[in-house]
Amino acid sequence: MNDLMIESRDLRFAYEKGTDVLTDVSFSLAEGEKVGLIGRNGAGKSTLLKLLVGLELPNTGTLRIRGIPVERKTLSEIRRMIGYVFQDSDSQLFMTTVEEDVAFAPRNYGFSEEEVEKRVTDALEKVRIPHLRKKSVYKLSGGEKKLASLATILSMTPDIILLDEPTVTLDPGNRSNLIRLLNGLDCSLFIASHDLDFIWDTCSRVLILSEGRIVCEGPSEEILRNGDLLRKNGLELPLSLIQRDRCK
Amino acid sequence: MSRIGQAISEIQTLESVSREDRWMNRIHPLSKLCLTVFYIVLTVSFSKYDLAGLFSMILYPAIAFMTADLSVRDAFRRLRAVLALVAVMGIANPFFDRTAILSFGAFTVTGGIVSMISLFMKAVFTVFAAYLLIATTPMDDICYALRLLFVPRILVTLLLLVYRYLTMLMKEAGRVTDAYLLRAPGQKGIHFRAWGPLAGQMLLRSADFAGVLYESMLLRGFTGEFRPTFRHSLKASDLLWPLGWASVLILLKLFPLVSVLGRLVTGNWN
Repeated sequence: MNDLMIESRDLRFAYEKGTDVLTDVSFSLAEGEKVGLIGRNGAGKSTLLKLLVGLELPNTGTLRIRGIPVERKTLSEIRRMIGYVFQDSDSQLFMTTVEEDVAFAPRNYGFSEEEVEKRVTDALEKVRIPHLRKKSVYKLSGGEKKLASLATILSMTPDIILLDEPTVTLDPGNRSNLIRLLNGLDCSLFIASHDLDFIWDTCSRVLILSEGRIVCEGPSEEILRNGDLLRKNGLELPLSLIQRDRCK
Repeated sequence: MSRIGQAISEIQTLESVSREDRWMNRIHPLSKLCLTVFYIVLTVSFSKYDLAGLFSMILYPAIAFMTADLSVRDAFRRLRAVLALVAVMGIANPFFDRTAILSFGAFTVTGGIVSMISLFMKAVFTVFAAYLLIATTPMDDICYALRLLFVPRILVTLLLLVYRYLTMLMKEAGRVTDAYLLRAPGQKGIHFRAWGPLAGQMLLRSADFAGVLYESMLLRGFTGEFRPTFRHSLKASDLLWPLGWASVLILLKLFPLVSVLGRLVTGNWN
């Protein structure tokens, strides 16, 4: 757990000059660690995720993935290590069938057809949707789309997976499936969400992002029980914790 | 289901049909593409008055549809818009070309009527040949075949991306239309005053969506070229179908079936 997968120091980013979206963002993510990034709408969560995969490049500060600085020339190397699950699964799934979509990345990385086949089978089994293999992407339900999106990333066998609001379109059953699935993964996870119950169930550490700054970080147990801190940052205590406290 | 929903569903169905495990679907895409191009070029090359020769060309789509187990009725239904357009294209011919070719009593068949029919037949045959290709070959495989024919990478990728974005664009159009109609109860269609803003919104949303989709592709190793999904290389058996048909089509061009049958019946070989 000592190797740093993500290391960010004094990161600053603006889409337009003079209006910083992220200011002095510093944090790290260790190997195998599962960290939640929480904050109100417009706090900069999705932007931070985009910086981590190099879809945007920081204005100042340093960002390293497994020690490699995120720069234009290192992007292909960085992107082989990180999988990014988009908030909207429709953005992730663009091939005609689930099988082809899951095979898209391994094929692009030049794996043999046998290896591609193996990766597709493994990824679909991990997310428990092997029966959807031949199904048209267009005919999937919201929950199935989310699981298929995750499979498209798992077939890359990434070291780190970034998830942007993964529970937005999920019903309770699919949400529980996703929690079980993510808890069973060995790789590092960085999850941006304002579903605090989901973060409570999946992450051991939490960062609070507010107006582009990390205002607090610490163990989930500590941060997610701090009602005042959460309310101050436009969030609420996780419902499961409120119910648990009421039962006591 | 809305009309846009139905159109998307049609595209998806056609895509599924093209992926079915049938004999014709398993033929190498390059063979099918070359045969289709050859057939189209040959059909178009008939003179505008050569109805007898042209009619013989029906043999290929007729037999290929049966071999591929495709429904002609479904094909007509899916292609009705194209066929209507084709019918309109030649409609002016009888007015411009009034040269008499045949007379049946008081009724005179002019060159314009013959050329209109021949134009319609050419269009129907070529559209059906293209449909046959699409219904038996997934778009990725057609693009793979195009690359094998040294069509520039950029063009092939563009074709594939347009095909991918088409469904997305239609879905977006469906969402925008539904949102409009839900707030315009009792109104039939979209009022012309809303066309501009709706088209603008759709364009912006589609551009935005296309951008995100492209990012998603980049993050999964896309470097500007789609990798082929077709699993086997060109075998001798893949050549039998196109070569066999090419020979038959050349024979039909040289000795039109209708003329040969006519001569057989009448015994007039001069």
